[in-house]
Amino acid sequence: MRRLAHRVLPALLLAILALPGCATRPPASEPEARAEFDANNDPLEPLNRGLFFVHEGLDTLVLRPAAEAYRIFVPPPVRTGVSNVLANLRSPVILANDLLQGESARARITAERFLINTTLGLGGILDPATDMGRPRHTEDFGQTLAVWGVGEGFYLFLPGLGPSSLRDAAGFGVDMLLDPLFWITLEPGRTLRALAVTRTAATAVTQREALVETVDRVRRESLDPYATFRSGWRQQRERDIRNGRSE
Amino acid sequence: MNGRLSRRTALATGTALLVWPRLSRAAMDPARAAEFIRTTGNRLVAIINGGGSLEQRRAQVAEVLRAAVDIEGVGRFILGRWWNLASEAERREYLLLFEEIIIRNLSSRFGELAGVRFSIGRSQPRTEDDVLVSTEVVQPGSPPFALDWLVAEVAGQPKVVDVVAEGASLRLTTRSEYSSVISRNGGRVGPLLDAMRQQIARLASQER
Repeated sequence: MRRLAHRVLPALLLAILALPGCATRPPASEPEARAEFDANNDPLEPLNRGLFFVHEGLDTLVLRPAAEAYRIFVPPPVRTGVSNVLANLRSPVILANDLLQGESARARITAERFLINTTLGLGGILDPATDMGRPRHTEDFGQTLAVWGVGEGFYLFLPGLGPSSLRDAAGFGVDMLLDPLFWITLEPGRTLRALAVTRTAATAVTQREALVETVDRVRRESLDPYATFRSGWRQQRERDIRNGRSE
Repeated sequence: MNGRLSRRTALATGTALLVWPRLSRAAMDPARAAEFIRTTGNRLVAIINGGGSLEQRRAQVAEVLRAAVDIEGVGRFILGRWWNLASEAERREYLLLFEEIIIRNLSSRFGELAGVRFSIGRSQPRTEDDVLVSTEVVQPGSPPFALDWLVAEVAGQPKVVDVVAEGASLRLTTRSEYSSVISRNGGRVGPLLDAMRQQIARLASQER
């Protein structure tokens, strides 16, 4: 497996680098085309389309089958428990971002959820907090940056991770550092390392499992899945940044 | 509330009469929009959870959608800036293909929602012309999701002009998709029509 990766990866990198890099902005004489180009905010589109192609291959071969297997072999109550545990483990990151955004009410909900679900919810397997009027929400540092007024930068498609932007990719890195569990797993010890890997893999599989129908539908119905994912992702992201409030 | 509403209605109607004498859109009353979505939603749910074969249910859902959705308006919005570049024949064909695709896609999407229930949330004016009606769709075994309906008055009747699933608008997403196909084919509408035709053929063969 490792030898295969050694052979395939450089070829893949070469293929990506060989792709044309930038899209050209339409001239000022075509204001509508220009407005659309700016709204898409995807100056690296040729490169991103290449990365999307790589991702689709990876997804078809690995991610989607893993999500399918998870769905077939793991019964729904267990899957709910796994999702709950993973969500609970993310609480410190969500709390930090709630606070950084000045959302004290939401921060309080996150903190209370963590306390309730970790104790009454048996380590986060159950989610009694939702029934107690404290529904789940998520936050990440990309959203915090947006709330602080940082622009998107530009659109990025990250193989294995999906649609993103310069801002959100940076946010992804910061969230990792905001996570206390990340620092704990840096300590020497195989068990902790194994747990960290398990958590990452479980997160990837559960997130992909939740998207099986949506992604299948876009692949089936869209005349240009790349453009559909870009537009849909951006709209949902904007809603998440506003925390669901209207403009 | 009523005074403001009627003033807005009067204002919008007046503007519409002055500026676009032949445009048939007028301000939408939020309560009327919500009632329209409730009726349409109930009809859809009754079909989806009712008896009959998948084929029959799909046909019935399609019938309800054809009556409820402003297909021509949505189609023109989606083609956007390319509408003016399209020939008369291309526009006609586009609208026919679009109707076929949108009805097929929405019917199959709603058809998947076995055992579905929905509840109506807020109903609020979004612009002078349209009202956003929020619904929450609950399906056994999966988390509830937000489905919002943009309703406008078209020729005196409330019509659905957009569906927003978890924040993503069908109109905006499809406009981006179609525009991308046209842009990548040298700014010609013809290749989009070809792709739409192929898609219909593909969807039809999958249904069998």
